[in-house]
Amino acid sequence: MSKIKKVLNGANVSIDVSNELVDALRKSAVAADPKLSKFNPLSRILVHDDFNTGTHGWIELIGNHDEQGNLDTVDDHMRDFRPPQLSSCNFFDVGTHGAMSGTYALKISTRPEAGHTGVAIRRLTMAGRGKVQFETYLAYKAEAHSEENGAAYEAGSGDWDANFHPSERQFGALTIATDICDGVRYHCVARYLNTSLDNKIVQKWVYPSVPEPTPREHFEGKLKLPRTADFTAPNPEDWHEFTERQELCFNEVPTKVNWHYVRWVIDTETRTNVELQVNDEVFDMSDVPVPAYDEEYGSLGNLLNFYVSVRTHANVRNFVYLDSVLISVDW
Amino acid sequence: MKQSFTAVLERNTTLRGNFKTEPYEVAWANEARWFINTLAIEPGTEIKARVQISPDGLNWCDVDGEAQTVSDTGTVSWTTSDFGGWLRLNGDVASGTEDTQGTAKVQIYLALKG
Repeated sequence: MSKIKKVLNGANVSIDVSNELVDALRKSAVAADPKLSKFNPLSRILVHDDFNTGTHGWIELIGNHDEQGNLDTVDDHMRDFRPPQLSSCNFFDVGTHGAMSGTYALKISTRPEAGHTGVAIRRLTMAGRGKVQFETYLAYKAEAHSEENGAAYEAGSGDWDANFHPSERQFGALTIATDICDGVRYHCVARYLNTSLDNKIVQKWVYPSVPEPTPREHFEGKLKLPRTADFTAPNPEDWHEFTERQELCFNEVPTKVNWHYVRWVIDTETRTNVELQVNDEVFDMSDVPVPAYDEEYGSLGNLLNFYVSVRTHANVRNFVYLDSVLISVDW
Repeated sequence: MKQSFTAVLERNTTLRGNFKTEPYEVAWANEARWFINTLAIEPGTEIKARVQISPDGLNWCDVDGEAQTVSDTGTVSWTTSDFGGWLRLNGDVASGTEDTQGTAKVQIYLALKG
């Protein structure tokens, strides 16, 4: 029988990052690259997604179908998360806004239906354990009003004062999350809750205290969720804030796009959250719980998925735009 | 190498009456090909689908060309060119009689390259 040797943390990294000079040279190389210097990567870059060169594996999340490919067997609440779009950030008043770098960003969109969620997912596996860092520059918008969509008459509308635009109240939430399995399956999750379900400004980061319902739980008759259920954690009472209010830069109207730096670190060695940086604020997440499943799941050895979702709380399309994404690890 | 992306705009969806697919951004693409895979359709029912374009994803007009008609299960396909930044389908499902509305269960794909 062959001898199995588990990879030690850091043992696989191609350079010796414990050597200060070597690590300084690595950081200098990152700083000298205009595409990388806006990030702060850990020692190994697993993923650098520049959406001027395609979707880089980001794709719509969907629930599981049966062996005949019968899509009727996909859970109702996991069958319509919408295809991501390579977006030029195009608006009625200015035309093509463009991305932070180049013309294109990845856009994740909802339908104009309160409770609808759009989800794009990136599927990886783990070649080690340790720190995993997700970085992106993102923007978020609710759809501008038109005669056809009637956004100006939907929930959250009213009280425009030439600074505050009610469109900001029509953006529900954006979520950055993982699906990880090392024998134990668990999700690290961070959600920017822009508004409550009744369209009041909240603007806090929240986490779920329960694991995401799975297709197998439905198959086993344990639950059945409606089409617009919040798939990450359906019960609003299972979401808890871990920050004070953080006002981001919606920038007044639904057609101005400002890019926000997000850096989120988790630790797959300890199955814990570490910290979340959003622009100039760093939130300690080390005490933010990571709910795990009691039951084991097969077919998911070393699963490492990231997803970004957007959820509308009004009958108005909501959008999250990702300029680019960088995922790095210390193993 | 070209970029490509196939978007599933409707999946296993039962259409009835007027329908519009969600706005989809295609400014990066040079080629666009539609597929309607009709999984089930009531006898006598027809889907008529017109391609629409938009400058902003909000205001839409038909692009030149005939409406596509589907009256049977299976896959139909056609292309659209010179489409600008956005595409969608605006269609109607009708039974042809006043007794029933008519329904069709479809997958709608938009295959893009550029």
